Amino acid sequence: MTTTADRATPTTESRITQRRPLGKRIYGFLRSIPTWLLWILVIIWTIPTFSLLVNSFRTRDEQRASGFWNAFRDEGFPTLANYDEVLFPDVGAGLGNALLNSAAIAIVATIIPIAIAAFAAYAFAWIDFKGREWLFIGTVALLAVPTQVSLIPLLSTYSNGVALTLPIIDKTIQLIPDLDLSGSIPAVWLTHTGFALPFAIFLLHNYIAGLPKSIFESASIDGADHFKIFWRLVLPLSVPVLAAFAIFQFLWTWNDYLIALTMIGGNREALPATIVVASLAGEFGAREHLLTAGAFVITVVPLAVFFALQRFFVRGITAGSVKG
Amino acid sequence: MDRVVVTVVGIVAAVGLSGLVFVGINKLYDLTEKRYPLFSATVGALWSVIVFGVLWGNRLIASPVVATLIAVAIGAAAGYLLGVTEAPPRRLAIGAAGGTALGLLLGSSARSQTWPSLDPIGIVIGLVVGTGLAYLLWIARGRKHNLVSRLLLGAAVGWLFGAWLAVDLDGSKAEVFVTAAVLGALVGAAVGYSPYPDGVRRGEIAVASRKYIFLAPALFFVSAALVIPLGRTIWLGFLTGNPRELRWTGLTNYSDILSDPGIINFDGFSGMFSSKLFWLAVVLAVVGIAVGRWTGRTGGTGLGTGFAFTTGSLSLLAGGAALLGFAIFTSIRGTIPNNLWWIFSVIIFAVSLGLAVAVLADRSKGENIAKSLIFLPMAISFVGASVIWRLIYVARPPQDPQTGVFNSLWVMIGEWSNSTAASTVVALILGLIIVALLYLAWRAWQAESNTVLAGSLAVVLVLGWLVYRFVGPGIGGFKVSEVTGEIIADPVLFIQNAPWNNFWMMVVFIWIQTGFAMVIFSAAIKAVPTELLEAARIDGATETQTFWRVTVPQIFPTIGVVVTTLIVTVLKVFDIPKVMTNGNFDTQVLANEMWERAFTQLDFGVGSAVAVLLFVGVLPVMYINVRRMQRERLG
Repeated sequence: MTTTADRATPTTESRITQRRPLGKRIYGFLRSIPTWLLWILVIIWTIPTFSLLVNSFRTRDEQRASGFWNAFRDEGFPTLANYDEVLFPDVGAGLGNALLNSAAIAIVATIIPIAIAAFAAYAFAWIDFKGREWLFIGTVALLAVPTQVSLIPLLSTYSNGVALTLPIIDKTIQLIPDLDLSGSIPAVWLTHTGFALPFAIFLLHNYIAGLPKSIFESASIDGADHFKIFWRLVLPLSVPVLAAFAIFQFLWTWNDYLIALTMIGGNREALPATIVVASLAGEFGAREHLLTAGAFVITVVPLAVFFALQRFFVRGITAGSVKG
Repeated sequence: MDRVVVTVVGIVAAVGLSGLVFVGINKLYDLTEKRYPLFSATVGALWSVIVFGVLWGNRLIASPVVATLIAVAIGAAAGYLLGVTEAPPRRLAIGAAGGTALGLLLGSSARSQTWPSLDPIGIVIGLVVGTGLAYLLWIARGRKHNLVSRLLLGAAVGWLFGAWLAVDLDGSKAEVFVTAAVLGALVGAAVGYSPYPDGVRRGEIAVASRKYIFLAPALFFVSAALVIPLGRTIWLGFLTGNPRELRWTGLTNYSDILSDPGIINFDGFSGMFSSKLFWLAVVLAVVGIAVGRWTGRTGGTGLGTGFAFTTGSLSLLAGGAALLGFAIFTSIRGTIPNNLWWIFSVIIFAVSLGLAVAVLADRSKGENIAKSLIFLPMAISFVGASVIWRLIYVARPPQDPQTGVFNSLWVMIGEWSNSTAASTVVALILGLIIVALLYLAWRAWQAESNTVLAGSLAVVLVLGWLVYRFVGPGIGGFKVSEVTGEIIADPVLFIQNAPWNNFWMMVVFIWIQTGFAMVIFSAAIKAVPTELLEAARIDGATETQTFWRVTVPQIFPTIGVVVTTLIVTVLKVFDIPKVMTNGNFDTQVLANEMWERAFTQLDFGVGSAVAVLLFVGVLPVMYINVRRMQRERLG
């Protein structure tokens, strides 16, 4: 008791003695406006996602009748009816199926580019050869190239193969046969892999090139070749950056709309979830209420990844952007 | 359930197969030093598989399975024998025999429509040109390789063209046997003529092969998905017609695009000079210049121009420039100005808001929570974000309650400004805030803190205008009904009303990208050396001065990185306009224009030309990136 009192007294006293005049206090309050601004901004930034979450648990009529802030006055809130309807193919949009496709696209289109980029990043960092710098810069420079410039040729390659008409003798050689890939998930894998590589190589190279030279020297004295060094040393040591890129690429492929729309197009069986939700959004009408649940379903996976692995994600974004 | 199984099997197969190929090739080259015959046999078998596989894929051979299996056996046998034989004459004999055997196999299984009719002139030309080129190449590569072997290879390529590809394919079975056998013999002899690699050479092969193995998959995918398609798209941009029969048309696609009023038109340009936005921009700029001149004269950092670059003058000028940009982009319309407007506003808002949050959150309480929540939209897809913001922007009919946040607030403000009681209360509250701000401004005046002074006066101006609107003509979403004279709700059609609907879509993008800018700025701010900041403070700099004079110059390169990254991301914005308006209501952007032209109208020529325009847009960014990397890597 006494100790608490002893501790309490000086603070109370000092508060009284240091009590500042009214003007100073107003000034102090106004000086704290920046902090307030920050939190106001945070709230504004959160409202949209929050409103989606709340509305997805409201019935169609309630969503049309009042804003999300009235949800707690609704009867029967929260309801899972929208989710039920949107996920299962017999009743609703069949988003369940589409989620599987999204997973199939995102998982493969994450693992393959990581593997390929890791080999290449290692080669660019630790294998000496002529023209290495230029090849590296040229590859990485391509990360600014917009996806759109490749869509038409890639799609025609997937559907017709590649034929080369030789000049002078005027004969056509089919270099790549018609693989009939358009409308299929492998087409999306291949496209994502190609587009991901410049950034992946850039990110992984920055990290792998920064590994201490001594470990490579001692390993090669012990007789390890490049493949062994890569497999036994570089891969385990690069786990943080591999994870960073994996999250990046997973989010990018899961959230992708353009590439899947172009490469899969009309094949309803293979469509990923983003396209199904976007087409729901295009309907304007009867199934509008499903949109909230649908949008939340496709959002919840990246959000889970994001919250679970935020640290890696942030590291991936900042790596290479900030010197040091 | 079936679909789950199929999906999982597909995933495992795709990943496993890619892994096996890579590990397998590495293991194969591990064999070179110690078990060379096995390596050699495998390489022989692999080449046979590749050649016969390609022919099989092109449907050029009959009974492909049998032929491929026999080819593998011959290739493996020849490879093994070459791997154990060191004497040059015997190696040559083995190579030629193996090649001839493979050639005869090819000749016997080639489909009849591939049988050439032999033409001596073509053969002579082919052989001469082939060996000639091989000789030149041998000189160009520094005379390192075995000349005879190279000449034989050149002769093989020349033979392939002269005897097979350049002639009519209506020959006899005998002719195809001869052609294929000679081709095989030439290639086989070229291989067999190469010297037997000793231990050192084999070690070199093992090491030198790694760079190719490690780089090949990446370079293959990058060229197949980016480099070659880029070239083909540029080429397609000069063609026209339906996708099956394209013909050359020169620059017509480009002139069509640039003269399309939907893509760019200046009709509204003169209207800009009667817009409030424009004149507000002019006023801000003039005031900014005046403030700069005035502080410059009274002893600011003039840099000899009599103009002081202070927070006040700079923010006024920047505000003026931003408003001017908006005035320009709301009057010059079309797809290209839209894209430029996207770049302009996303950079302004995402960079300034991202920087603001990074600074405000730095070392404040709850920094991590605040940053996570601002960053969260980065994880959400553009499709999801578009749906989310459609709910925020939705406009219900005037008689119904508004369910969107924006319209709900806007209509509520309208109701308040039309009720005497509510507008009085609002005006009183705003009045109190104004008084407080004026007091703050006075204190700032005394403390000579120009930033706070300018900031609070600016807010006072805005609030004063709000008070005027509340008490006077009214503000918010209402209108007076022409029929009954009643006051009714008047929601804004955020998504339909051009040109500002574009801006409301940019808000979605800004909502997402602010987190990106913030994370990078935050890392950059934390990387500013503390000694610098402390030194500045010891020298008596205020927080504001420290920020502008120390922190900002330190993070300036980072601002460049963020801006270039944003330009690339914004330029190809597609999902948001596609989902929210599909380019209707005057909201078309280049990426969606390209998609519409190429895949809806099937006009590959114009679609490619639009894609090329996008590519031209990122060229400056590519140049900057390359220069930056050169500086960092080549010193």
